[in-house]
This record gives sequence, C-alpha cells and structure tokens, in this order.
Amino acid sequence: MEIYRNACPRNCFASCSMLSYVNNGEIIKVSGDPKHGFNQGRLCAKGYAFTQYVYNPYRLKYPIMQSPRGSGNWKRITWDKAYSIIIDKILELNVRYGSNLACGYNKFSGNLGLLHYAVEGMFNSFGPHTKPVGNPCLISGEQAIKSSFGQTVSLMPEKMVDANLIVIWGANPAVTNVHQMKFIFKARQKGAKLVVIDPIFTQTAAKADIYIQVNPGTDGLLAHAIAKILIDSSLYDQEFIDNQTTNWIEYRQYVSTEVNITEVSQETGVSIEGINELAHLYSLSKPCATWIGFGIQRNKNGRENISAINTLAALAGTLQKGKGGVYYAHNGLEDFPANLLNHQGPKHSNINTSREININKFAEEAIKLSEPPLKFLWIASRNPLSQDHDFKKWELLFHELELIVTVDLFMTRTAELSDIVLPATTHFEDPDLIISYWHQWLSYNEQAIPAYFESKSDLQIARDLTKKLNECSPNFSNFPHELEPIDWIEREITPSIKELYSLKSYKQLLDGPHLRNEEKHSEGSSSMNFHFVIPNKIASSSEASTNVIEDQDSNPFKLITPQSLLRIHSQYGTLSWLSSEKDEAIVELSEYAAEKYWISEGEKVEVYNQNGRIAATAKINRYLPKKVILVNQVGKNPINQVIVHEENSNIGKSSANFYDSSVNIRKWRD
Amino acid sequence: MVKQMGFVFNIDLCIGCKACEIACRNENQTVSAVKWRKVSKLTDDTYLSISCNHCSSPECFRVCPENAFTKRGDGIVQINSNLCTGCGLCISACPFGVPQYDPELHKVSKCQMCYPRQDKGFLPACIEACSTGAIGMENLDNFCSREAVSTIPGFPDSRLTNPSIVFYPAKKRKRYFLN
Repeated sequence: MEIYRNACPRNCFASCSMLSYVNNGEIIKVSGDPKHGFNQGRLCAKGYAFTQYVYNPYRLKYPIMQSPRGSGNWKRITWDKAYSIIIDKILELNVRYGSNLACGYNKFSGNLGLLHYAVEGMFNSFGPHTKPVGNPCLISGEQAIKSSFGQTVSLMPEKMVDANLIVIWGANPAVTNVHQMKFIFKARQKGAKLVVIDPIFTQTAAKADIYIQVNPGTDGLLAHAIAKILIDSSLYDQEFIDNQTTNWIEYRQYVSTEVNITEVSQETGVSIEGINELAHLYSLSKPCATWIGFGIQRNKNGRENISAINTLAALAGTLQKGKGGVYYAHNGLEDFPANLLNHQGPKHSNINTSREININKFAEEAIKLSEPPLKFLWIASRNPLSQDHDFKKWELLFHELELIVTVDLFMTRTAELSDIVLPATTHFEDPDLIISYWHQWLSYNEQAIPAYFESKSDLQIARDLTKKLNECSPNFSNFPHELEPIDWIEREITPSIKELYSLKSYKQLLDGPHLRNEEKHSEGSSSMNFHFVIPNKIASSSEASTNVIEDQDSNPFKLITPQSLLRIHSQYGTLSWLSSEKDEAIVELSEYAAEKYWISEGEKVEVYNQNGRIAATAKINRYLPKKVILVNQVGKNPINQVIVHEENSNIGKSSANFYDSSVNIRKWRD
Repeated sequence: MVKQMGFVFNIDLCIGCKACEIACRNENQTVSAVKWRKVSKLTDDTYLSISCNHCSSPECFRVCPENAFTKRGDGIVQINSNLCTGCGLCISACPFGVPQYDPELHKVSKCQMCYPRQDKGFLPACIEACSTGAIGMENLDNFCSREAVSTIPGFPDSRLTNPSIVFYPAKKRKRYFLN
C-alpha cells in the first residue's frame, strides 16, 4: 500500500491536507494529514467520504454529447471528436466575427487548486475573448475591510485560541469551518466567552455562551449601537484613536446624532439588555477576536454592516497586537504569480482587451452583448444553473448560444443543459497546489491514482485543446501546452514564495504543508491606520422587524439559503454515505408561519415569488424569526430559481446578494 | 489484564459535524445501509454520537443462538461474522439499536471499537476524527471524574446492559432571542 499527500480543493475555509491510502491503483481510505497545522490530522464528514466521491456510480467517465440540447439523448463521443467540434466552432466564430469575443467562459470555485486557472489561461491564450470578472462571495467584505483598514487583513486563525472573547457575526463554523471549532473551544477551556450573533439559531449559536438573535441585515445597526454605548461611557481606546485612526470626530458626531439605542433595539430585535451585555463584553475582554462571517454580506447592507463591525472592533481597542483583531478572510493568492490566471495571450490587431462581464450578472449582461454576441460558452468548476441566480436570464442566454461545453465530474443541472460534457478528474488524479482563504498553510496535492476512465483535469484539457487548435490554425493559441503540471507548480514557487513559506523547492511540500511567515501583514502592525467609515443610511429591515404578516404582504418572507453540513453548494449530492441529508429541498419556517399558513411538519409546500417556484418539504423551526424562511441548497431542485440579484447601486460592485430575496409559501397543489 | 474500555462523550464539545460517523465508514468501508456510528440530535442544541457501547452485560451476547459474540479482555464486544446467520435477534435485543443488518452479506455487523487499529496502537477512527475532542476513550474500570455521569436524558435506559460510555453533560447557556 502506498500513501500519498493530497489537499482538498473544495470552496471551504479549511483547505485540509490529507493522506490517501492506495492499493493497486485504488484509494481504499483517506485520513487527515497530521502535519497540517490547521486541520491537524482530521477531515470533515465530506472529506472522510472521498472514496465514495472518487468511485461514485454517477461519476462521468467519457466525453458525451446530446442532440438536441436538453433532450437527454446523450451519446458517448471520443475526446478527438469533442475537440474537433469545439475547435470548429471557435475557428468558425473567429472567421464570422473577426475575433474571439464571441467565445467566453464561466468558471468559479468548484475546485480551488491553482492549476485550475488553466481555464482562464486557455481563454487568455486565444487573445481577446469574453470573461467574467468579480466574485460572488467576497467583494462586499473585501471592500469594507479595505475602506476601514486600507489593506486586507489576515490573522492566523489558530491564534483565536488566545482570545478571551470571541464574537462571531454571521458565521456558522460548526457547519462550514469545523476545524476552527477546536481553537474556539480551547479558548473557552481557558476561560474565554463565545458570543454568536446571527438571525438563525445555528449549530454554532447552540454552542455559544451567549447567543444574540438579530433581524437579518441589521448587524451594522447593532454594532453602531454598541459603539455608541462605548463612546458615551468613555470605554474606548483613546490612545489608539488619537494615533492610528482617521475620521474619528465625524464618526463620533454620526453616532451621537444618528444612532438611537431604543430604535436600534426595535430594528435589530435585540433587547437593550443584550446590547448592553455586548458592550460590556467588548469593553472588558481582551484579547477579543471578532469574526465577520460571509453570511453578513449576502444582502444589500453587507458592506455597511461589515464596516460597522470593523469600527466597533477598532473602538473597543481590539486591533493592536495582542488584543485580538478582526477575522474575515486571507487573500493567499495575492502572494503568488498565478501564472495560468495571468497568462498573457496574443495581441489582436484592433481589439485591445477582453470583454469583461460581472460574474454576478453574467447571464443578464451576456445576453445584451452584441458585435459580436456571445455564441460559445465554456463552463468549468461551476454549476451556475444550481448556484447562480436569475435563471430566466440563463435560459435566454442558453437559447442564444450555439455551443455550450461543461466540464464536470457529475451530471449537474448545468451539464444537463449543455451540448457537450467533458469528464473531470478529482484532486487525487492530478497534482496541484492549494492555498486557503482562511488559514495560511500551503499544501501540495500529489497525484495518487490514475485518472478515472477518460477524465481529465482542466489543465490537461487546456493543453490538449490548444495543441489541436494550433494544428488546425497555427499560432491561434499561445498556450504553452508542452508544460507539464509539475512545470506550472514549479513556476508558482518563485524565490519570494520560497522565502515566504520557508521552502527550498516545491518538493519539500511532499513532506508536509508549509506555513506562511508572519512578517508580512503581521497582526496589529503599529503602522496600521484605521479609518472610521461613516455609513450611508443603512436600509431599514422594517419588513423583517414588524414580525407580523399582513394579508396584503405579497412576499412576506426573507429567504436565507445557508450552507448545509454535508454539501458544498450542489456538490456531494450523490454520495450515499452523506445521504442522511437527502438531496431534497427542505424549507424551515417559524411556528408562527406554520400556523398562519396551516402547514404541518413534513408537508409538501411551494416556495414561490415572481421569479419562480420550487417544491420543498416543510420543517418547523421554533427558533426562526417569524418572517424568515430557510431553504437548503439542492443541486437538481435549486432554491436559486426564485433568487434574482440586485446590486446596491450606491456602492459599485458587491457580492451576490443571495439573502435579499423575498418569497411566499403555500401548501403544494399538484 | 482485564479491563473495560469505553467511550467518554462530552456533550458541550460535540457540534454534530458527523466527522466521526463518516470516518468510521471510511475506515471500515461499510455499505450504505450499515451505520456503525450514528450522530443524532439529542435536543435543540445538543447532539449525541454513539456506536456500540461494548456493554458490561451485552444483550447481543446473551441472545445470540450461534454464540457469535465474544467479549475481549479489554471489554470490546466482537461479532464473529463466520458464525452469524443474520437471524436478527441481537438487533431487536440491543437497547441502543447498535447491531446492523448488512443486506448484501445477509449478516449482522457492528462497531468493534476499531480493535485492529487499537492492537496496532492507534485510536479508533471516530476518536481520531473528532476535531473538538468530544469523543474520548478510557478504561472505565478505573475512570473517575466528578463531572462525568453514566447517562443523560434522551439516552436509552442503561440499567439492563450497563453500557461502557460516560457523559459530560451540557452546561446552561445564555440566549437573547428576538424581541
């Protein structure tokens, strides 16, 4: 039996390093890598199920093609046939329109391995094309962090263990970041208090010393109210404010004129006693770790809310070294050259750059394109027809497209509507490098087994396709197809990366992950300058705070669609070991809503609004706010069918506002 | 040396993440219908993770017509699958619903506390997988803790079989639900 070192590429905080145990070319089990300082020899439930993921009866084995699209009339084709159809289309569109702007891709977080930027690299290698920009997840928070701190901040999450107070705003690590919980519990064993602020009584809230339920989208109001109490009681860090902040006088003025504790209590739903207790804790307990969850930024107030929490953390004197800090995300990629992502394509005679479309409005903007319209779409590491929004626009877009190619491991909802589906490898079948958006470890992922049937990685597909493309049309692509995966890995490990991660060569990563040195962006740097952001008027959440459903309310419920324990969005739905979470939509509603709509536990109901409807099974959750419903994310019956993203026009780009949708429910009628 | 190895389960530390449940499957590659360890919700804010409790007086052992069950010197209750006929008497006798019928092999199987791992000096897979330390293992013959209790509300009556598990119960927490 051989043992290989792998790293989980899922869109998850933990980016665990793992060991795979291989017998005769087959993985017989996996374990956590004890040399990884964050996951410390353990995996999550999904990680321990990887043998079922790799050898899954539903996994795609061969390239397939359906005709007509959506008919389900799939036929196995050879890779050569698939490549030649794709190449013919690319070349024909190039002749038709005089450029490759009619060709585009949609790719996001299905696999976070650095070599999966081969998709971007492949399209770059064609010269100007149509590409998505932006980020559905983190833009609002990153902008808020930058406007408060002037830079990204990233603390080692392992250090949460030293905190005396941990305040989690809108994150549920017991489900989404399981490995962080041990650091939190260790802090608690030493006397720390854990506070969780969330509209939902989550699995993490259940473990908190103090749980504070808040109306969705009103976290910022709560933070400003606590700030006001600290200011009025002179319980703030004057020295830090005098020496390391800007805009303090204006902020103090804002708080004294605009923030009224009684009104905040009504809007947020948090009692004055609760607000006072939080203020007391923030003023007393140091070090204090403030964790801003991604849930907060899924609505139009996201950026304002995160700025407000930053401000509270600053005011309470928790930003200096040894006193805590703000945890949000670690931008590990910014240290790396990301050669595939940044691959420079050939120049076009009269088009300077690629055509960029906002990934959060991809379908909407793509339909509007003309001269040339978008005609060929490549989808990889993504399942937009489960996980994006505004599906009506996607349907329109698909109608306009002449060729849709999806690369995936399973027949997703997106794959079902594509022309050609190409089978992708798992991370056990190709080498890769993995960095985390939370902790600061760099992991190498070894190839442990041969590719499953005819599956290929995004990089291998890029290599094969560009090579054949150039055979048909010399110099069409400048992708260096001769480079092996290992060559790309070596090119990521630059002298500065070697220094940053104490590496002599990438080969050292075969013996275990390496931790990034702390000098850069070290916590609480004395040169930090904090800016007090004065909020725009935070949009009222009055519809949630009234707490009574009036008969004229057309869509009375705020829809929240959190991550489930045994899935990453639509991934993992086919694993029978994880089937205690069935791949069916569950709608959780309050006792109040259940009574008002005569809905009982286990009943089939319809969740609907002007955008669409889905069938779901009702579950009564007695801790839910009256006007909030929760629906899980299911691959084939996605709740995103009723979600349309509307950007906050005041502030430019934002994360996708998945939690701004309002819906209604009723008993299912066949 | 005769001893009684057993599980120590800390309710406050269990976040219901099911890593133990799936790590058990990963280690033992059990078929989907067979669950040697199960995580379930105990109350609105607590979870229970249990496998075979390797009871002092195991009912499975007593009722099995084939004498397929044995108890090792360290207290682990084993089932010899060669002797099992799949009659299912043990399944109905066990107060904890532990023995599992394998529809492919037509036999019963259950948690054996990863004795092959233990014999090599490793912890059972569930304990190794538990990132918060909610599940531990002790020789209960000489385990003594002022805070540990032998049962908790929601756990089946343990008087009949004397299961080898002890609990650290949950502490009371403070909540501010919406006004």
